[in-house]
Amino acid sequence: MDAVRTCAWMVLLFPLAGTVVIALLGRVLPGKAPGWVGTLAIAASFASAVATLVNLQALGEEERQVRAVAWDYANTVGVDAQLSLLVDPLSVLMILVVTGVSTLIHLYSVSYMGSDRGYRRFFAFLNFFVFSMLLLVLAGNFLILIVGWAFVGAASYMLISFWYRRTTATGAGIKAFVINVVGDVGLVIGTYFIFRGTGSLDFLITFDAVEEAFARNDGDLVAGCIGLLVGAFAKSAQVPLHTWLPDAMEGPTPVSALIHAATMVTAGVYLIARMHPLFERAPAAADVGAIVGCVTLVIAATIAVVQTDLKRVIAYSTMSQIGYMVMGVSAGAYAAGLFHLMTHAFFKALLFMAAGSIIGAMAGSQDLDRMSGFRRAMPFTFGCFVIGGLALAGVPPFSGFFSKDEILTYVAARDDWHVVLAIFGYLGALLTAVYTFRMIFRAFLGEPSPEARELEGGHLHHAEVHTNPATGEVEDSDVGFPGPEHHIAEREGSMKIAMGMLAIGATFAGFLQIPGVTHILDTFLEPTFADSIYFEELKPSDTVTYGGLLLGAVLGLLGIAIAYALWVRDPEAPGRIRQRLHGLHGFLYRKWFFDELIDGVIVRPFAFFGRFARGTFERLVVNGLFVGGTTASVRAGSSAVRAAQSGFLRYYAALVLVGLAGLGFYFLVSAA
Amino acid sequence: MTPKAPNIDFAAISPLIALLTGACVVLLLGLLRSRFARTQLVPGLTIVTLGATAGLAIWRWGENTSVLSASLRMDDLTLALTLLFVAGAIATVLLAWRGVAPREAGHGEFYCLLLATVLGMVVLVAAQNLVAVFIGYELLSIPLYVLCATELRREKSLESGLKYLIIGSVGSATLLYGLSFLYGATGSTDFSGIAAAVRVSDVGDDVLFLTGIGLTVTGLAFKASVAPFHQWTPDVYEGAPTPVTAFMAVATKAAAFGVFLRLFDVALIGTASTWAPALAVLALITIVVGNVGALGQSSLKRMLAYSSVAQAGYMLAGVVVSTQLGVQAVVFYLAAYLLMNLAAFAVIVVRERETDLGDDMAAMHGLGASRPWLAWPMTIAMLSLAGFPATAGFFGKINLIQAVVENDYAWLAVAIVLGSAISLAYYLRVIAAVWMRAPGETGRARAVPARLAASGRPLIAGGAPEADETGGSRAAGDRSDKEPGAHAAGEGRAAEGPEPGGLPDPGHAAAAGRTEAADPGPAPAASAGSALGRLRQPEVVFVALICTVGTLFFGVYPSPLLDFARDAGDAFTNLF
Amino acid sequence: MSSQLTVHLSILLFWPVAFATLGALAPRRVAPVLALIGALIPLGYAVLLLIDFDAGRSGSLQYVTDAEWIPDLGVRYKLGIDGLNLWLIALTTLLWAFSAVWVALRPTERPRLFAFHLGLAETAVLGAFLAQDLLLFVLFFDLMLVPFYFLVGQWGGPARVGATIKMVIYTLVGSLLMLAAAVATGVLAGEQSGSELTFVMSDLVRTSLPEDTQRWLFVAFALAFLIKMPAFPFHGWMPDAYRNMPLPVLAVFSAVLSKVAAYGFLRIVLPIFPDASVDFQTVLLIVGLVSIVYGSAMAFTTTEVRLILGYSSIAQLGFIVLGIFALRPEGGQGAILQMVNHGLVVAPLFFIVALLSERSAGSESIRDMGGLATRGPVLASLFLIIALATLAIPGSANFAGEFLILLGVFQTKLVIAVIAFTGVALASVYMLRAYIRTMHNRTPTNVASSDLSVRDGVVLVPVVLVILAFALYPQAALSDGEGGVKAAVRSAQAVSEGKQNPATAASAAPEVTP
Repeated sequence: MDAVRTCAWMVLLFPLAGTVVIALLGRVLPGKAPGWVGTLAIAASFASAVATLVNLQALGEEERQVRAVAWDYANTVGVDAQLSLLVDPLSVLMILVVTGVSTLIHLYSVSYMGSDRGYRRFFAFLNFFVFSMLLLVLAGNFLILIVGWAFVGAASYMLISFWYRRTTATGAGIKAFVINVVGDVGLVIGTYFIFRGTGSLDFLITFDAVEEAFARNDGDLVAGCIGLLVGAFAKSAQVPLHTWLPDAMEGPTPVSALIHAATMVTAGVYLIARMHPLFERAPAAADVGAIVGCVTLVIAATIAVVQTDLKRVIAYSTMSQIGYMVMGVSAGAYAAGLFHLMTHAFFKALLFMAAGSIIGAMAGSQDLDRMSGFRRAMPFTFGCFVIGGLALAGVPPFSGFFSKDEILTYVAARDDWHVVLAIFGYLGALLTAVYTFRMIFRAFLGEPSPEARELEGGHLHHAEVHTNPATGEVEDSDVGFPGPEHHIAEREGSMKIAMGMLAIGATFAGFLQIPGVTHILDTFLEPTFADSIYFEELKPSDTVTYGGLLLGAVLGLLGIAIAYALWVRDPEAPGRIRQRLHGLHGFLYRKWFFDELIDGVIVRPFAFFGRFARGTFERLVVNGLFVGGTTASVRAGSSAVRAAQSGFLRYYAALVLVGLAGLGFYFLVSAA
Repeated sequence: MTPKAPNIDFAAISPLIALLTGACVVLLLGLLRSRFARTQLVPGLTIVTLGATAGLAIWRWGENTSVLSASLRMDDLTLALTLLFVAGAIATVLLAWRGVAPREAGHGEFYCLLLATVLGMVVLVAAQNLVAVFIGYELLSIPLYVLCATELRREKSLESGLKYLIIGSVGSATLLYGLSFLYGATGSTDFSGIAAAVRVSDVGDDVLFLTGIGLTVTGLAFKASVAPFHQWTPDVYEGAPTPVTAFMAVATKAAAFGVFLRLFDVALIGTASTWAPALAVLALITIVVGNVGALGQSSLKRMLAYSSVAQAGYMLAGVVVSTQLGVQAVVFYLAAYLLMNLAAFAVIVVRERETDLGDDMAAMHGLGASRPWLAWPMTIAMLSLAGFPATAGFFGKINLIQAVVENDYAWLAVAIVLGSAISLAYYLRVIAAVWMRAPGETGRARAVPARLAASGRPLIAGGAPEADETGGSRAAGDRSDKEPGAHAAGEGRAAEGPEPGGLPDPGHAAAAGRTEAADPGPAPAASAGSALGRLRQPEVVFVALICTVGTLFFGVYPSPLLDFARDAGDAFTNLF
Repeated sequence: MSSQLTVHLSILLFWPVAFATLGALAPRRVAPVLALIGALIPLGYAVLLLIDFDAGRSGSLQYVTDAEWIPDLGVRYKLGIDGLNLWLIALTTLLWAFSAVWVALRPTERPRLFAFHLGLAETAVLGAFLAQDLLLFVLFFDLMLVPFYFLVGQWGGPARVGATIKMVIYTLVGSLLMLAAAVATGVLAGEQSGSELTFVMSDLVRTSLPEDTQRWLFVAFALAFLIKMPAFPFHGWMPDAYRNMPLPVLAVFSAVLSKVAAYGFLRIVLPIFPDASVDFQTVLLIVGLVSIVYGSAMAFTTTEVRLILGYSSIAQLGFIVLGIFALRPEGGQGAILQMVNHGLVVAPLFFIVALLSERSAGSESIRDMGGLATRGPVLASLFLIIALATLAIPGSANFAGEFLILLGVFQTKLVIAVIAFTGVALASVYMLRAYIRTMHNRTPTNVASSDLSVRDGVVLVPVVLVILAFALYPQAALSDGEGGVKAAVRSAQAVSEGKQNPATAASAAPEVTP
């Protein structure tokens, strides 16, 4: 037990220490040392995570839920918030994924960010992010969960606007932060509802108390779970709180790989899985989660088909994939959802790294229209990208294939109307394959672009003057943008290693859960979900299972075929289709007008209110009525008195008489 | 038990005797030729007289005796108020020491009149029957009329004297009329008789009687400058020589309220239910009129005049409640009021003699930087008048509020605090002028008279229409008739040589230090001021500092003053 | 009445003004040193109090000083510390030390007079926090205004005289009403209980006044406190005053004086007027709510950095009002914690304003700023930490405060709590806007970016460290405050739960579990 606790704290401490060291000693550390410090810190954290796993497995089945308390945080008047961790298979799985992927991405960044002026700052932030993420997944009560929740949001903000000279980057940063704060608010409100019922913030106590505290679908509980879902949606970029994620691609590519693909954005999935006792008690809320997940995966997939910014395409695919996971865990397919979370972490991080490599070759440009024919110029990157793509598209035997299909089959097996969700899920799978290979074909096949040629010639292209594609303003490479040098996997050992290992993961991770063959993840997670009503019972029939696998494989290949037909066999076709479906294309290209919607419904009205308050209300009411009114009345009285004070005795005498008359009158009246 | 010739308890009336003899001696000394005798001996002897009076008053403290066949009562209230008068008078002497007024009116006459006024005040507050009241009233008033006019070369001084005389006579007449009604209704002139009559018979709602009360209230309201009978106050205060103004502000008010307390809380207590509401309303009107009237006044004396009206309103509230606590509150407030007003007036006197700005707000500009020893007294006086904590004024207000709340006049308490809220606007303006305006800067202060003149409202209370035009040019007028004064003072000093007992002037020393060391800044006016400031006036600064210290001390530890007031209040054995 | 006298609190109380006076009279060279001693010693004293304080008895007064002062008026010189004011006193001393160091390192003109007023102000504020006698409290509460009147009027910006007079009159209107109400409270309570006249709070608490009397007294007090905070719509004096106040003064003014008002609610209004507090609960909650939304809206449309902070303070005070008038221990605890937090963050922010304006050619508009992070990474990161704390990011003590506050409101008035959360989101908007517009984006030509100098670091870093430490362990303040807060809200809570339906009473059940 104590061994587990110690290891868990170690997992948290290393990244924190890394942050502090880099932040304080960054100036004295030579050259790339800060990067290595950061990487080592995370590696050490990964090691401790493994140690935690070993120690935890050493415990008995029912003991594998360990609370580790450091000190009281806000323990007063009935609020029992301590600085406590909860170590159980679920959190251990998460810390393994997080630390593992993070280590590799740090390794990648050591080279990729090598020539950036913000090198130190980058690793300080990145370590801080990992710390926050680990705090999130290890949190033992709602308050600490919220803390981690917000910290990852803050870290994400800092890293999105890492190149803070670009107004687009700072804009994206504040957007992401605010939407995440909305999520935090949802989380807090949800917590309140649940706390009102159970009277405790601690996870284990809450889960035990939930039975007698709430009736099934009790109003408070549903409201609470909806609140939690709002938090999950904001963090995991689910409709309608997703608009920040595509903009977040303003950040450096490793950031996109780590935060906006592998770890942070999957926090929502973790949250739902963690809260399964509540959601199972409030099926209404769970259904909301499942439906929103399904809607998101379809919408995101459709948008991804038409976007032309390489990273944004991947971002939308991330949204869509997380949609799968949310749908899965909400429907009760916990193991499946977490399984997909893990595999997705591998192949999506891999895709981003590969994309980063291409972007390096393109001297910072992310425009898909300008890329083509990098196949020969960047064989390694090409290989990695293809592996990632196959996994994403769900082609056997790559990891994504098993995880995605497990989700879909479980959802289909849940009950009648969930089948509909599953069907949309398969539709999404088809689209996934299409847009994935649209990227691959357009970037790597076809006529080599000038940059590609130059690279084949052995020279890495450098655009002399960078301009921000969004605003067109000239990039400020001072701290504005990746420095004058660029880095590609072919030339950087560390990048190669990182991508290579992820490629292996993306390829073979699927074998953890081959239907009918292996159930490693199921058995591992069993203790966490012991109290779940679905974890054991919810099992698709064999026909569904194998039918699903078959269908998934077919759709994946079909999608690839379509992509090949459109973008390789007949490159004119897309243009023609765009002409014919002009309206639809515009609609998708403008991302279903979600940005415009939010802007019009929330931002503008409030800005108007603010301007009104400042321009009009403040002037007329607050100063005019309150201050001006009183002073004016007093002034009036003053001038009246002065008017009476004419200086002429006759007037004085008159007033005296008036006063005297008044007094006399009063006394006479009171006499009568 | 009433012998033919009333046996006279000379010990009891010794203060009166002291004042009377002092007055005569001073008058005679004033006839001497030697300048020293006139300019130094006379004021000195006046102070001695007043000191003696104070000593006797303290000696008689605690013995409450009725004298002269119970027409006067030398009890603690009388003695307490006497001490206030004396303090005020002493300060006045110090302020007037080098002033224009005594020189022009003749020293002997000036100080004699002063002592006579004090005598009248003592008689007034000691009076136990209506005749004595009227005697005291006139004895107090008539010398004051003259004192106001003692700056013979300044038309405004003369005018104020005349004006005060006329209005004052109206007041006296009304009072006399009222007193006679009271006598007619009750058939008795002494208070105990009236009180008894009220108690036994149902004279309480007799028309004659009540009309009498009404007229009496009016008569006393004149002296206490209670609205709407206040209007002489600003004009007279502004016109009269500043030392006299100071004396009127602190002493006359105390006398008026003394008799208020006597008459209403002893003689007429039986009909309190009838007159109390009327006085309460008067108090309210007074508070409002005084405070709003003071806003935007550029003449400090005028501003203080209005503020004195407002303060009268507060104190009237204390009279209304007709309890011992009320009496205490009033006495306490009178004492605090004396301290803070004298401090303010002292500073004004100094600046009047130093600068050519007279009592205009502009005379205070930059004082904080150039003359801290004058700036702080002025500042603290203003804060105290506004009732800020850690000053005597604060507890004065608390005391009054407590008294009125205890007798279910909560709305009067609210009126008091709102009145003080308004009063901040003009008190803080003075402080702002002292600390926050550059010396040369003719800020709002100067703008105001111009605006008023433009709006055709003469600032000098000209008894004649042509005064309207003179309004705008009053600054010039001031200067022109200040010159002789200043010269006279100058040569006077030159001849006099070093004053006896003139203590070193901390204010001026500090000022000089500052002007050399710190501030290259002070613009023409102030430097001119400090140049004129060469004529040193330690006694005035001394008054300012003493009163300031008193204000602060009683602001932090008011208990002694409270006990003083409580003893005075205990004189009213009939109240609870 | 037994007259007991432990001198500690009196030393703490009068030390600042004593040394300020010495400094004002001392020669120029030693004056700053004296001023520093005058500000630092009380800080040490407060720290000792923090350590020595017995959290177990935080419901009852400790280190009580109780002596006759003005028997005729029934005013006693009674000081004491309990869970309510302990941490606020620590905050006061800390921030005055902060401000004193600031002034010592960046002297103003006429420094001796400046230091004198500053010291007088500290004594007045400490007095208001320590006073356990109603009139004593009122006295110090009004006294607070005097030094600030002079500080603004003499060292302030262009429109200083008008601004300072406006501020004083506006706030004193409320204070004077409170004065009358305070006297009335004592007198009426005396008549009620038949005992002799007293203004000692602990005695006043025992006598319960009739409800309608409580009402008008409550209104008077509430008006005074709301104006002082300021809360919407009584903030008319705030913009001018903030624009013209010298920054070292503004730091303590905005950080501490508003807290005195909020503290007054907990110390006086809730215990002495419980029925009225319940009657007006909804009104006050709505005032707080509107303050939050309105303040946030203003803060995110204005471009003057001072006013961004000023309006954000209005919003923060709105939260505190919500917490207090949840009339529950959670809310009260949150309110206390939030008072300390807001003070801790807003003072350094004003220091940063000074740094920003001297880097951007004296301008204090975010229009003329930007990109300062490039040459000033340390400054940027410190600013970021404080900004995040200000917008109450979870993990900061500010969040712990808001969490408790809103939990309290949530337990009583769910809807209001939910609406109040918009304030949380808006806070992030305006703080980040301010941060980005100053630290990020392109650098305007007039901006000369440079990093934090050591001298400024000496001022800024300690406070930031305190913020971080407090973020790690807010429990320190909470466990000290618990007893005091429970005692403060007990009677009001009892009344309100008596009036409400049993459902909410049941929901209040977990709050009694240890």
